[in-house]
Amino acid sequence: MIFTIMDTAYIKSLPFLIEGLKITVSITIIGLFFGMIIGSLAGLGKLSKNKFIRGFWSVYVEVVRGTPILAQALFLYYGVSEDLIGLNITSFTAGVIAIAVNAGAYIAEIVRGAVYSIDKGQHEAGRSMGLTEKQTMRYIVWPQAFKRMIPPLGNQFIISLKDTSVFSVIVVHDVVFMAKEYYNTTFEIFETLVMVCLLYLCITIPTALYLNRLERKLDV
Amino acid sequence: MITVKNLHKSFGDLEVLKGIDATVEESEVVCVIGPSGSGKSTFLRCLNLLEDITAGEVIIDGAQLTDPTVNINEVRSQVGMVFQHFNLFPHRTVLENITLGPIKVKHLSEKEAKDVALPLLDKVGLSDKADDYPDSLSGGQKQRVAIARSLAMNPKVMLFDEPTSALDPELVGDVLEVMKDLAEEGMTMVVVTHEMGFAKEVGDRVLFMDEGVIMEEGDPLQIFDNPQNPRTQSFLSKIL
Repeated sequence: MIFTIMDTAYIKSLPFLIEGLKITVSITIIGLFFGMIIGSLAGLGKLSKNKFIRGFWSVYVEVVRGTPILAQALFLYYGVSEDLIGLNITSFTAGVIAIAVNAGAYIAEIVRGAVYSIDKGQHEAGRSMGLTEKQTMRYIVWPQAFKRMIPPLGNQFIISLKDTSVFSVIVVHDVVFMAKEYYNTTFEIFETLVMVCLLYLCITIPTALYLNRLERKLDV
Repeated sequence: MITVKNLHKSFGDLEVLKGIDATVEESEVVCVIGPSGSGKSTFLRCLNLLEDITAGEVIIDGAQLTDPTVNINEVRSQVGMVFQHFNLFPHRTVLENITLGPIKVKHLSEKEAKDVALPLLDKVGLSDKADDYPDSLSGGQKQRVAIARSLAMNPKVMLFDEPTSALDPELVGDVLEVMKDLAEEGMTMVVVTHEMGFAKEVGDRVLFMDEGVIMEEGDPLQIFDNPQNPRTQSFLSKIL
């Protein structure tokens, strides 16, 4: 009995798919790490008093949010890296950069919104005791804003995780890519794709549940 | 201690301050009264450059605020400010609210800052709240913590922007009591207030502002009992 379950097309595809899942998760986490840095700079840049800084980051955010991630990935990997610069980066690296640049734009809006939502009096209280602009941001505004960023950042994690699925077009060996490779030889298309969806859900549903709980606990 | 010369402040096309001249001597308590929209809060906020000055001069303890070579953070560290809505930092305990400035601006160690903060908390009657978060305090307690937070910087001047306006009536007394103690200790204070009783009792001088100018100023008893300017008369008749 156990032998037959283990032997079904569903289970047999798993080892391949999990290899892909590792890539999917790695790209998401590394990409979001850099996306968080870009997004913080961009979000604070959009709040800057300097109109050139504000303009620069606004253009970045609008361009990224106004174009599909599939086009962005192709553009980065084939367009910029291969054609324009002639630099052969791996498709994994291209995927990481694509997530960082793409999520960075959405995180910018999360950061901007959260920082903007902190009462102006907090900033004034900091500055009026002699703290510099940077110190006020670091010790007073950012810690409060960051708390408000956690739920939408979690949401961005889920979105970016799913977005990596389009990277099979730049030959990233993610879950979807591995699934295609697998069913092209076994022809167990339905079973394989069911498992693909289940694997995504195994990450996204617990993340969403955890975020709900966190949101209540943080009271934001 | 404070000299203001021909101070103008505009927000876009709206001119809020239309030429203010005033001085505040050391250890003097100056109360600023006037109808809402008269520019009194804006005037106060110009004194530590929370608002940019459009024209004119503000000199605090010898430092010309509009001089680009003056370190504004240095000046602000010597000018305490208490806000209508307290503006305590909700993510920090009461003690951490008070020690932040001394640690980051005056570079005291955590222990030194604590040694400054605890007597101040005691002074405002809240020693038992040191480890609480601001959210668990009443409005009056919050404002007293805010005063202690400003005092921790050992300021030369304290600015109060309607410190009791957001409080329930029964909590006003405790805050005014703390301010009165401060005045008696010789703190230089500029207080924008609607508490006429406080202005009368504690103030050394009262400025009556309306339409962006100081309409009348003088000894509290004279202003309240025998106002000269018709605007002052009409304002006082409405509120007293």
